[in-house]
Formats: sequence, C-alpha cells, structure tokens
Amino acid sequence: MSRSAPGWLADFQARFSSMLRTPLDRASGTLTAATAEYDPQLCSEALDGPLSGAAERLAVYNRQYWFRLFSVLHAGFPLTARLMGYWDFNAVAANYLLAHPPGGWDIEQIADGFRPFFEDALDESAPDWRLALIESVRIDAAYREVFRAERSPPFRPLASDATELLTGHLVPLPALRIVEEHRALVVLRTALVANPSSATVELPPLLVRPQTWAIVRREAGTASIPIEAREAELLTLLGRHSVGDALGCLESACPAEERAELPDHVRAWLARSIELGFWCSLRRDG
Amino acid sequence: MAFSPEQAESLGRARGLAPEALGLGLRVPHYDYVLEHAPQVDYFEVISENFFGAAPTPRARLERVRARYPVVLHGVGLNLLGHAPLDSRYLDALSRLADAVDAPFVSDHLCWTGAHGVSHHDLLPTPYVPELVELAAERAHDVQRRLGRPFAIENLSSYVEFRASTLSEWEFYTAVVRESGCWSLLDINNVYVSSQNHGFDADDYLATIDFSRVLQVHLAGHTREPNGTLVDTHDHPVAKPVWELYARAWRMGGPFPTLIEWDARIPPLLEVLVELEKAREARR
Repeated sequence: MSRSAPGWLADFQARFSSMLRTPLDRASGTLTAATAEYDPQLCSEALDGPLSGAAERLAVYNRQYWFRLFSVLHAGFPLTARLMGYWDFNAVAANYLLAHPPGGWDIEQIADGFRPFFEDALDESAPDWRLALIESVRIDAAYREVFRAERSPPFRPLASDATELLTGHLVPLPALRIVEEHRALVVLRTALVANPSSATVELPPLLVRPQTWAIVRREAGTASIPIEAREAELLTLLGRHSVGDALGCLESACPAEERAELPDHVRAWLARSIELGFWCSLRRDG
Repeated sequence: MAFSPEQAESLGRARGLAPEALGLGLRVPHYDYVLEHAPQVDYFEVISENFFGAAPTPRARLERVRARYPVVLHGVGLNLLGHAPLDSRYLDALSRLADAVDAPFVSDHLCWTGAHGVSHHDLLPTPYVPELVELAAERAHDVQRRLGRPFAIENLSSYVEFRASTLSEWEFYTAVVRESGCWSLLDINNVYVSSQNHGFDADDYLATIDFSRVLQVHLAGHTREPNGTLVDTHDHPVAKPVWELYARAWRMGGPFPTLIEWDARIPPLLEVLVELEKAREARR
C-alpha cells in the first residue's frame, strides 16, 4: 500500500482537529466561535485572507463541525430536540460530542451512545420534566434503532412448530422496539417528522393511563402499533424466556381478577404478534 | 476543446455516461418522487457512505433507483490526505458498493476528513506542497486499482490557506490528478468559492484543468456569510457567477457530464430539476 505521510502532517492535523472541536461559546446567546481558544501555532500557520483574518477563516470550519453534528442529532432525536428546544438540546449534545467524538465514517453512528448520556445528564430537580424527556429520548432511540436494524424475515410458524412452541424461544425481530409513554409523545413525534422545523413544541398533557407501543419496521416503512400494557409485558417476557416460562411469569404477575380471561388474551396477543411479524424465529434449546 | 482520438476514447470509456449527460445528487426527500415518477434525469449520484451500513431501507431504495438509472458513487470519507494510511475496511465497503451498483466511476475529494482516530465529517485542507502531491497521488492510484474502475478526485472549496504552501490550490489539484493517473471531478462552484475567499481569478484555475481527464462537473449553491466569506453549503440554487463560470468551462472543455448537488434545505425535486434546465441553457 501507499507510502507513509510525513510526520509534520500528523502534528498539523492534531492542531486543526483541536480547533475544530473547540466548543462554541454560548455567552452571547448565540453559538459563536471562540477563536481566542484556538492553538496560536495553528493561527500563525494560517494566512489572513481578503475577507477575514486567519482565526476567523479557521472559525468557518469550527462552526461547520458543530452544526453538522448537531443537525445529525436533531434528525435522530427530533422529538427530544423539539420538546427541549434546540438551544438547551445543543448544550447537552455538545457535552456528549466532546465526550464521544465521532470515530467512524458513518456520520449517523455519532448518535449511537446519545440516549444513555442524555438520560444521565438530565437535571433531577424537575422530576415530571425529566420523566417526559427520558420517555421522549427512548422513543426517538427506538425509532432510530428500528430504522437501522438489520433485515430479517418475520417468523411464520408451520404446523410442525406447534409441538415445540412452549419449550422454544421466540426471537424478537431486530427491527422491533416496545416503548411506554405517559404523554402522547409517539403521535407528536410522527407529526414533527412530517413537518420539520426548529421551533420548540409544548409538552403534551399527561394521559389518563400510560400507553404502550410496538415500533416495528416493515417493507412499507416504520409502523407504530398501540398495544395493551399486559400485551407489552408478554412481548417483553417472550424476548427473555421460553414461551412456556414467559406465560408462567405473566400469569404469576397478573392480578387475580384478570386471570380468568388471561388464556384467551394470551392466545389473541400471540397470534397478533406473529401476524404483525414481531418475531424472526423460534429457537429450540438443545 | 479538441482531444486526440485516444484521449476521447479513453475519456468516453472512463465516464460510462453520455458526454452531455445531466445528473442529480440523489437525496432522501426525493426517493419517493423518483421511484414513482421516473423523472428525465440521465443519471444519479449518491453519497457512498450512506449505503455502507446495515440499515436495509436505504440500500433497498438504491437498488430500485439503480434498476432505472445509472448510479455513480461520491464519497466524503476516504481521507485521502489524512496522516494515517487509508482504511482498508472502508475501501472494502466502497468496492462492494461500487460492484453492487456497477458504478461507471467513483469519486471523492482531495482533502482530509479525520485524524488521530476522530472523524470530522468535513472536507479539510492541508498546506499545498509537493510532498503531499506525491502522497495523495500514490494513494489515489491505489484506490483506483483496488476499485477496478475509474476514480475521480474532486477539487475542494476552501476557507483558509496556509503559510507553508508552495503551490497554488489549482497547481496542487491538477498535479495530484496528473500524477495519480486518476481522473478529475471538477466542481465549478468550489472553484468560484475558493477564488472569492482567497482572492484569485477563477479563470486562472480553469485554464490549468486538463479537460481530457474530467469525468464529471459538479454544480451547487453556496451561502455568503456577513463578512463576505462564501461557504459551500449546497442549500441554494446555483449562483449566477457560477453559471457564467460553467459556461466558460463548457466552451473550454465541454462536453462533460454535469451534476447538480443540493444537500440542505432541500426543495421539491421539480425545483431541483429546474437547475438542470439552467445547465442546458448555459451550454448554448
């Protein structure tokens, strides 16, 4: 393969990289390049131009670096960014990007670790707001993961699978996530994606009771399917246990007044989950 | 410009497109329209890295577009001028994608995009020195050989110059293309943006271009910052002075395939198609 680069190039690119990642200053109320923070050696290596001085010319790249990465996070977490407002969202995003600078050639990968970082960074002094943002970032992350998941054909059981169903493990489709909300966030997210803007949106009121959704990618696109809370519990248990054990766990957790109807519900939920393509295979242990 | 029969034959074979072909950079908001209405576009160009990942939806859409149109690949992450060696996993992914869409040619930029393990996702300049001509030319030559298909190098738009440079931007660019044995992707907007930001004559730049090596020309819009700096934002229609420069380039070295890029604040496809009509006009 090709020759090695000259040693000075690595040093030059280290200085330039450091300039690119210099955080933008928020003190003025707009994001501005903090040119005073740039490496003096890099500034002396750059030439003044006909339109601006050396540091201001470098600042074009500094601003582009941040705004490009912010825009990827805005696109990946549209609900969270619009609920929080871009100004506050960008503050968390900047801290995240400083801690986790982009490493791969796929720019979308920069968002891979954002959800846990965001949850840890939230202020605990406003618990309702914090809970809403945690739900929103989990919903955004679910859509993102579903979009990026590998293709896998859905499991369509044969008659011969029936005898092994109880002892087998239903393997969830990689492009399936279950999310819960206490406010109508999934519907809000759908509306925001259909009408992109940078405007902050109001937090929807609390629902009478929490709503659970299955987010699943199909040939025609990503679908959001409302499901019952107990149905979601079953799907989660099926993802962790054999079918027989999952049913046992569900029954144990079920209040006495629901138990009589549980077998009928379980049959219907299982049939629906297979019809909707929530599983990719039946794994037989041993 | 009159090329020798050998040059013309070599150029035609490398392009794999009609010499007057007009193409568009294909972006997500336009996929549905393209697949439903099959607009009159001679070819599409896609950003290579957007199709390297496991996500099946982008790849499935690309396959449907490819079934109807030629598709060329344009990269933004090769890191030709990075201090580290080229990433062989990246080249493998690029090679697989090029084979999958049977791309007539592949292109990327004369720049660096990351260093010391960090990818900056930007097209960054270096000092323009002979030492880096040799480095970039040898790497580009290896890329072309590894891909087994023509590889075109795009000139950069730049916002800063360095004291250490001993070559002009165009001397550096043309030397790398010539010494690599690769091809040129000439971005006319980038020539104009750099000329305004650094105070040189864009026609001096064009005069050095060997049009017998130009596989494709790019056109895009730019933004003027308050201090007058032009930034290659791809979020506007092509500016009037760029159309004028394009017309002069056409007279100097045309015909050549021409492609419109629009990457931010993307309007409906019909509005982008208007830019192709303007390109036809500019050629007259």
